[in-house]
Amino acid sequence: MTTQAKTRRRRRRAVPIGRILLIGGFIVFVLAPLYWMFVTSIKPSDDYLAVPPVWFPSEPTSVHYTAALFAYRGLKGLINSLIISLSATVLSAFLGTLMAYSLARFNTGGAHLSFWVLSQRFLPPVAIVLPIFLIYRNIGLHDTHFGLIIAYTVFTLPVSVWMMFAYFRQMPRSMEDAALVDGCTRWQAFWQVAVPLAAPGIVAAAVFAFIACWTEFFFALVLTSRYAFTLPTVFRAFLGFQGAQYGEASALAIVSLVPSIVLGVLAQRHLVRGLTLGAVRG
Amino acid sequence: MSEIAAGEGDTKGALPPLSRFSDWSDRNFKWLLVAPAVLLILALSVYPLLFSLWVSFVNYDFQIPGHAFVGLKNFEQVIADPVARWSLVLTAILSAANVIIEFLLGLALALAMVRNFPGRGLAMSIIIVPLFISPVIVGQAWALLLQRPFGPTDYILSRIVGHDVTISWLTQSPWIYFSLILADVWQWTPFMFVILLAGLTAIPPNLYEAAELDGVNAWQAFWSITMPYLRPMILLAVTFRLLDTVKLFDTIFIMTGGGPGTKTYTASFYLYTVGFTQFHLSQATAGSWIFLVLTAAIVGLLVRRLLKAEPT
Repeated sequence: MTTQAKTRRRRRRAVPIGRILLIGGFIVFVLAPLYWMFVTSIKPSDDYLAVPPVWFPSEPTSVHYTAALFAYRGLKGLINSLIISLSATVLSAFLGTLMAYSLARFNTGGAHLSFWVLSQRFLPPVAIVLPIFLIYRNIGLHDTHFGLIIAYTVFTLPVSVWMMFAYFRQMPRSMEDAALVDGCTRWQAFWQVAVPLAAPGIVAAAVFAFIACWTEFFFALVLTSRYAFTLPTVFRAFLGFQGAQYGEASALAIVSLVPSIVLGVLAQRHLVRGLTLGAVRG
Repeated sequence: MSEIAAGEGDTKGALPPLSRFSDWSDRNFKWLLVAPAVLLILALSVYPLLFSLWVSFVNYDFQIPGHAFVGLKNFEQVIADPVARWSLVLTAILSAANVIIEFLLGLALALAMVRNFPGRGLAMSIIIVPLFISPVIVGQAWALLLQRPFGPTDYILSRIVGHDVTISWLTQSPWIYFSLILADVWQWTPFMFVILLAGLTAIPPNLYEAAELDGVNAWQAFWSITMPYLRPMILLAVTFRLLDTVKLFDTIFIMTGGGPGTKTYTASFYLYTVGFTQFHLSQATAGSWIFLVLTAAIVGLLVRRLLKAEPT
């Protein structure tokens, strides 16, 4: 009894310190690579080779940013990434809304259809990208924006559908029923009543689709080459030249981090639902 | 489609063909809504899979016109390839290590973060940042930190242990796996953390109060309250993470390029190399089917357990 009370007292004192160390330590762990990448991106090239390492450059420079964007076609990649990610996001959100609404309101196709859509999320990209590559080559879609856009649309659809499914299912159907009684068609009730009400869910799903497209590498690597390449594939240019292109690679990384981190942190509240594909009532 | 339907609202029944169309579209409303997405998935996922089944049984080569049927030869070639077998073993090892470490770390972090404290919101925002970063950039960032001799890791370690540390994290055999796991843990521990935290916050606090009144210590409370309640969430988090980690490719591509030699070929990297740098397309497709069947078997098992655990 006394020993138990003692251990409890000891634990109560020990726990906060352990908590602080754990949380603080993990935050340092998260920030360290980001900090080092940022510092590398503004270091003059001589500082890379310095031992001990230069923790903060005395003369920060922006030459690597210019080089990464122009000499390594980072700007072209950035523009391509924007075009492709935005288009795929809009398409995925649009088609996902239609499907999610149908699944949530009418239980279309029962559990089979919804499970089938979800199962697409589990396909390994290698299994699917090889045949897509061959098909694209045959029909002239290889290395086109459009080809990557529809590939990304399909690849983000399962998550979009499941996020919005969770959203529509929570929405009371009484508003749409009232619209139908007032003489609206099903389509009007959908567009004018259900979609505006679901707007926050649709936006959250779209944010996740955008981040998924923006950070995707494998499809872009295989399905594009000289023309429709995206930002993550530009990093190939920095491989093999050990040491020389650290600054450019870091600068480009910093540039491409910004949009997805800003959007991601803004959509933080919807994170759990997005990560668990709506399977959890979170 | 919606324009026609909207026009119908103003001219109720005045135009029979239009209204007949809108009747039809209203009756089949639910199917019309799912049709575009289903067609797109059929075109870009189901059709390619079926097509690849055919490719894996022929000799598909850009240079040779016509595709000769070769039966199971492609599959035999993959199975006979020691690199392919090694890539499967490595995928299993890395996946297991990643998921176990990420789970333990994510759980510890979720337990530490479940109660409120000043700065919790900011800490949350920082901890989840890795989830929004391209794996390519994660690989790049860790390569910068671990690079020898210019990266700071060896320098810091030297300072800590008091003598020179000269580990080549990205080329030396045991360390290279450590580096790959490190990058994956960095990126995906937040995923475990977020899901487990959601599970923890859903546990009714009065259970703990009752346990405390009964004189149950914290360790017993953890095993008899927290863990049973968290079980479905744990299964969910582990399943999803496992499904993703078996596809490991991006960080390998950037950090090691599969090297040294073929030591860091994961299944995905092996199939990519066979298909897109050696252009043995049929062999790669056959390999990807073997990989697909193996993953599907594991997925099937896990998902069935997941669905069973759901009604709690």
